[in-house]
Amino acid sequence: MEEIVDAQGMACPAPVVKTREALQRGCREFEVLVDNPTARDNVTRFAASQGCNVEVSEEGGTFRLAIRKEGEAEEAPVETPASKSAARLEGKTVVVLSADVMGRGEEELGRILMKAFLNTLSECDNPPWSLVLFNRGVLLSVEGADTVPALSALAERGTKILVCGTCLDYFGLKKKAAVGTVSNMFEILETMLVASNSISI
Amino acid sequence: MGPEDLKKVLHLLPPGELREEILVGLDTPDDAAVYRLDAERALVHTLDFFTPIVDDPYWFGRIAAANAMSDIYAMGGTPISAMNIVCFPCSLGMELLADILRGGLDAVREAGAVILGGHTVDDEEPKYGLAVTGMVHPERILTSRGARAGDALVLTKPLGTGVLSTALKAEFLSEEEIEAAVKGMAALNREASLAAGVAGARACTDVTGFGLLGHLAEMLSEEGPACEISAASIPLYPRTREMAGMGMIPAGAHRNRDFLQGRVEFAPGVDDVDRDILFDPQTSGGLLIALPPEGLEAMGDGLKEGKEWFRIGEFVAASRPLIRVTP
Repeated sequence: MEEIVDAQGMACPAPVVKTREALQRGCREFEVLVDNPTARDNVTRFAASQGCNVEVSEEGGTFRLAIRKEGEAEEAPVETPASKSAARLEGKTVVVLSADVMGRGEEELGRILMKAFLNTLSECDNPPWSLVLFNRGVLLSVEGADTVPALSALAERGTKILVCGTCLDYFGLKKKAAVGTVSNMFEILETMLVASNSISI
Repeated sequence: MGPEDLKKVLHLLPPGELREEILVGLDTPDDAAVYRLDAERALVHTLDFFTPIVDDPYWFGRIAAANAMSDIYAMGGTPISAMNIVCFPCSLGMELLADILRGGLDAVREAGAVILGGHTVDDEEPKYGLAVTGMVHPERILTSRGARAGDALVLTKPLGTGVLSTALKAEFLSEEEIEAAVKGMAALNREASLAAGVAGARACTDVTGFGLLGHLAEMLSEEGPACEISAASIPLYPRTREMAGMGMIPAGAHRNRDFLQGRVEFAPGVDDVDRDILFDPQTSGGLLIALPPEGLEAMGDGLKEGKEWFRIGEFVAASRPLIRVTP
């Protein structure tokens, strides 16, 4: 199947990213159109590094790069988003919760989603390294909240749960903290800085 | 802005004013301006700001501040005070801006200078940097001119920040995979500058947007000296070669190459990837120092432990082209 990737008008590295996406989709023979020499050189070099044959032609300021993937034998590994996310899970993932609901709009739905999110998170194969709760997010960790069991399960599985002390104070709930460590901005910041990956809900 | 465009604009303006207090002004391609106060003291002025080069706001702040102060160090000066320059969309949230400013503040503190104030503009794309004032003894100013044939060329940080930040943008690499470069960009050129002064440096500049070869060209002239560098001796941040080999070359590198057309000769055997890296625009790069041979030892002693410097070439008598790169 022949495909045309039109990367005209795009600044580097976008044309290379588009070319990589085409290879990841399994395209073996396709054309990339670019409109500047930088993109021409970069895409040519990228394709060559992935074991492709490249032919360049120019017409009226447009460079046409005919790319053909050579035989299967020496397939250069193209990093896929999946392999990347697998690598990331081995690092320090931090999940940041700044609200007691998931998403904006419907409050009630948001509450149901947040509970489901935490339940799922507490059961997943790779629980996060740390969980940071601030603003209304701290309400998830106080006595009586229906999310406390899921958070406790995460804590038992080794997830470091940091609850913003200033926020608990603000809500007058410092004595009601049921799970996690009451923490300060310094520790929260430090945790976020050393994280290899952070997910904000 | 690329060197060619900048040259065009400056040609449209009247030449800089002549005053005896202006020791370094508009007429030379130097990193900062120097204004003499008296026989012992001169002020060094510079300003630099740019868009985020890493996602982490704190490290972006540190890097931007280290980059701005680098111009003072490249002139042999010491930063004394700085003003923040901030363009920021309020929609991104004030915590994020605070993190950027905290990074800048830490770098300025490390330099022993103080932040006195600043100015903010609401803008779609964040930008941050500093206007920095430094002090230098009028007789100890280092400029980009003054190297002589026989001097050694020394570089004090690895190359590759343009290639690696392009790879970061393309998501070929993650921020933790370029950690060495992030820390390198955030590192001050202070020790390198002090050591260069102690070692009797004859000329100095810092490597930034015009790439290693672009800034090296500013140290040379047709009347001499010229310079020979060895591609193999150039230090690179981890993964730079690999990413350059995958087409992660920023547009600025191509502009720099076009601008230097005819002034650089590559000996056979220098491969395309190495050529591109030598044109790669750097953020907060190292100092490029011309040292008389007897200064090499003093340079080593003057640098604190753990700080690196690399001898990458020699200045030679006038020749054409100006720069020769051997494998």
